[in-house]
Amino acid sequence: MRKQIEGIGEATLRLCREGLELWRVYVSTIAGLVRGLTKRKDKIARRGRAKGELVRQFHAIGNKSIIFIAVTLGFIGMVMTYQACLQLGRVTGDYSQVGSQFLRLIISDFGPTLCGLMLATRVGAGIAAEIGSMKVTEQIDALRMSGVLPIDYLIVPRFIACLVMMLVLAVLGSVVMYFAGAATAHYSFGVNPNTFFDLSFIRPRHLILFLLKCAAYGAAIPIVAGFCGLRARGSSEGVGWATTAAVIGSSFAVIVLDFVLSAGALWLTGGDL
Amino acid sequence: MISAIGAGALRIAQEVGGIVLLAGQVLRALIPPRMDTRELWKNLYKMGNRSVPIVVLTAFFSGALMMLQAGPFVKKFGATGLAGWGAGYAVLREIGPILIALMFSGRVGANNTAELSTMTVTEQLDGLRALAIDPVRFLVVPRVIAMVVMLVALTAIGDLVALVGATLIGRAMLDIELSSMYYSITENLKPYDFLHGIYKSIAFGVAIAMSSCYFGITVRGGAVGVGRAVNAAVVAAAVSIMLLDFFLTYLTG
Repeated sequence: MRKQIEGIGEATLRLCREGLELWRVYVSTIAGLVRGLTKRKDKIARRGRAKGELVRQFHAIGNKSIIFIAVTLGFIGMVMTYQACLQLGRVTGDYSQVGSQFLRLIISDFGPTLCGLMLATRVGAGIAAEIGSMKVTEQIDALRMSGVLPIDYLIVPRFIACLVMMLVLAVLGSVVMYFAGAATAHYSFGVNPNTFFDLSFIRPRHLILFLLKCAAYGAAIPIVAGFCGLRARGSSEGVGWATTAAVIGSSFAVIVLDFVLSAGALWLTGGDL
Repeated sequence: MISAIGAGALRIAQEVGGIVLLAGQVLRALIPPRMDTRELWKNLYKMGNRSVPIVVLTAFFSGALMMLQAGPFVKKFGATGLAGWGAGYAVLREIGPILIALMFSGRVGANNTAELSTMTVTEQLDGLRALAIDPVRFLVVPRVIAMVVMLVALTAIGDLVALVGATLIGRAMLDIELSSMYYSITENLKPYDFLHGIYKSIAFGVAIAMSSCYFGITVRGGAVGVGRAVNAAVVAAAVSIMLLDFFLTYLTG
């Protein structure tokens, strides 16, 4: 009995300590971002990141994910309209609202969230694997020894790139999902494609929610993954653990943030989202 | 440019071929079913029991999310009796199995790749071969079976938790009575809706297991290689989950 209580306490303490450390990484990243923005002529400001690093990260996070995001979101868009039409066909047989409701769902929830989950898998694991292997080969210590802050050098460019590319990829993914859904509804159920180009259910608050979700996931993924990478210890086994933790942590962060933002929006609009 | 596309296509073809070959080896090892039972039980515990908390949390949130999306819509038409149908249908058929499989792939698949690839880069697989132990029979087969069995079991648990989550959130945020939610779920959802999700989770389990084992035993090059293998395994698992989901939905209706 006593051992179990000790175990619970230990787990709680570890969780608190990890949360604190995650928070510290987050604050340091924001501080590094601000430090990079304020132009200073002295040398300290130039100790930030290597030249061209930001462009390289944009390419690694954005361009290399395009096919992955387009394929996964396209297929899930097809599946969702297929299931919705199948179910509607059994109940009412009226397909005229499928398109506009599907668009509302994509913009307020599925587009950014599924894109965020996919990015958490691809980019989160990539960031943690890269930073983790730098950590275990002592490259992080070498950076610190030469007076470079590892967070400014490694996490800040990934943070900026992920924030921007999350929005870009979410827009791309939503468009692919929408057209894949429209094509499925048309070819499998004979739904008139014109009913899909109906924006009457879209309100400005859906677009605001879309942007907020993109920003939240784009900020959460690199922070959680970078934190997991920096915590890697040991050798190849440590890198593997760090990558696993990054995938789980960032996917879970996306789901929880989605819930918080959706519930908050519903509460603010009084149950009429 | 064109040669880059060709190289990418060749690499994908090589990976898919490798996964299929490994699946063939696993199937051959299953007839007759000879494997290390101790390893199997160990993996069943490690992959199943230890994943329950994360799966329960994910399922709860996914049920709650579906309710948040379906609730306002049915309330607008005054048909709160359909809320359980909308949320339950989406959860049981699509969102539940997919989200649970994605989390399972992150928690168990990635972990398995990390473990196998560490063994590979430290040459433990060659050590097994030197002792005349077939690594596929000893390491891969128990893991594949454990992952498939446990993903199905966890999806069944997760579906229930997701429905509970949807009900509780409907009561807390949308004032939908617990009893009307209960009738809505039991009246409108058929056992087939639940089974549809379970069929999918079998396929997802096989896909996650094969890709994670393949990238684990073909890794090359130290700590950097291990990180890259885990990354490749989760990406392959995510793509194959989405593709399989589409084809299974299309075929089984």
